[in-house]
Amino acid sequence: MSLATVVDAFGPALLAAQGDAPAWLLILGPAGAGAFYYGVWSFYRNSDKSHSFELETRVDAKAVTGTDVKISEITGTKKSGIDNANHEDHRERVQRIS
Amino acid sequence: MTSLPSPDGSHGAPGEAAVPSDNAPVGEPVIKPAVKTTIDTSTGVGDGVNRCPRCGATEIKLRPSVGMLTCLFCRHEWAEARLDETVANTELKDLRETTVGSGASDIDTGADSLITMKCAGCGAEVVVNTAEQMGARCHWCRHVLTVNEQVPNGAVPDGVLPFKITNEQAVAKIREFAGKRRVFADRAFVRDFKPENVVGVYMPYMVVDSNASADVAGTGEIETRRYTRGSENNKETFYDADVFRVERHIDFTVDDLTIEASSERAHMNSEVNTNNVINTILPFDTENAVKWNANYLTGFTSEKRDQDVAQMLPELEGQLLSIARSRVAASIERYGRGVRWEQERVEVHGTRWVAMYLPVWLYSYFHEHKGKAMVHYIAVNGRTGEVMGSVPVSKPRLVAAALVAGTFIEGIVVAILAAMS
Repeated sequence: MSLATVVDAFGPALLAAQGDAPAWLLILGPAGAGAFYYGVWSFYRNSDKSHSFELETRVDAKAVTGTDVKISEITGTKKSGIDNANHEDHRERVQRIS
Repeated sequence: MTSLPSPDGSHGAPGEAAVPSDNAPVGEPVIKPAVKTTIDTSTGVGDGVNRCPRCGATEIKLRPSVGMLTCLFCRHEWAEARLDETVANTELKDLRETTVGSGASDIDTGADSLITMKCAGCGAEVVVNTAEQMGARCHWCRHVLTVNEQVPNGAVPDGVLPFKITNEQAVAKIREFAGKRRVFADRAFVRDFKPENVVGVYMPYMVVDSNASADVAGTGEIETRRYTRGSENNKETFYDADVFRVERHIDFTVDDLTIEASSERAHMNSEVNTNNVINTILPFDTENAVKWNANYLTGFTSEKRDQDVAQMLPELEGQLLSIARSRVAASIERYGRGVRWEQERVEVHGTRWVAMYLPVWLYSYFHEHKGKAMVHYIAVNGRTGEVMGSVPVSKPRLVAAALVAGTFIEGIVVAILAAMS
């Protein structure tokens, strides 16, 4: 893909989105360098890897039961998601109840 | 279902059970005293002599390619009985209290690693250091003596899962793994890399069956409206949402959850060690483990267990909670804005603990950089061949390459901006 093609494809969209001074694009260079460093380092060190026991262990579970009770409403928030969502981080421990 | 208290102390659903008052701090395990039953997995002998069932010789070793013990005298091949036939005598859903294999019994801290066996061939006394090996040759009559009784120092487990991946296969896998990570590897690592130095190690694990229930509670949000406000150049997106108190309960059984029984291996901190790579090659086909016979260890090394059931209970409960959280995930998909779990509870109705040696091919490399030392492992699962490892990185090389990549991207960006101006 030539540079002219890139400019033709993305230039107008960038201008439309950011006005006539898309200086923030300049951050892409340092960000790319950082992403490259982190990506390669992770590939070599694998320090974030561990056994996925949640998925790789034989589990026989009965049907999940529970309740869902509406307690309030939020209007006009700028946040696109709930604060401190942890439904995807199964290993984050929260308050233990005996 | 028993409801959990909401953060303000009230109940989410009216009319449900009372609020427990003895809430534990975040992350603190709740350990209850448990009735313990022991299943005898001992071999029933203690004379240190494991003989070939056909010819009576004691020169025996594992042949990994077939997973069988081989008599080096008459070439007879056999395998010990499967461990499950001895210990798995109860349906998991019927598990109550704590059941422990005799090889997983509490370690006697006063027990010596050195044990003395009387040679059945000539009567001489032979000393075996179980911290390093599980057998020795009688220096008088050349009989091979192996530890065939369960000693209370944690060195003899209930069962062993024999190596299936051969040394040659492990070397090939380690070579392939490191070969893909050569360009930015530390130069000393590349220079010293000799995968032939891989060592077959039987690592100590507890394999745990559990019958448990778990409750989780928190807050979930469902988006009801999304809209934008502001002028052409200053638009902002706003959201309306319904907020719910969410509670879930699950009853489940877990089969063969495998947990490190060595405190050193269980300590996973990527800042100071690479133990996580050994953990990553789990799981093993533990259902194929066989009853203890020290001859499976001939030619390999082993690491002694130093953790008791009570010490491992917090880790078990944490893993059971993680499994529960994973299992209820499908039931909260309607909460598009996400769920924040705030409280959790696990009730372990029954567990069955078996101590087991699991086979790992381990290549290790001691790396020291600016006074900071770390042992990097490349580990191969001795049954499945799954490989994972840590290769030390050459930072100057990586920084230089990152700068080149960043400069290239920046060049494109500058060209785009120039063309647009």
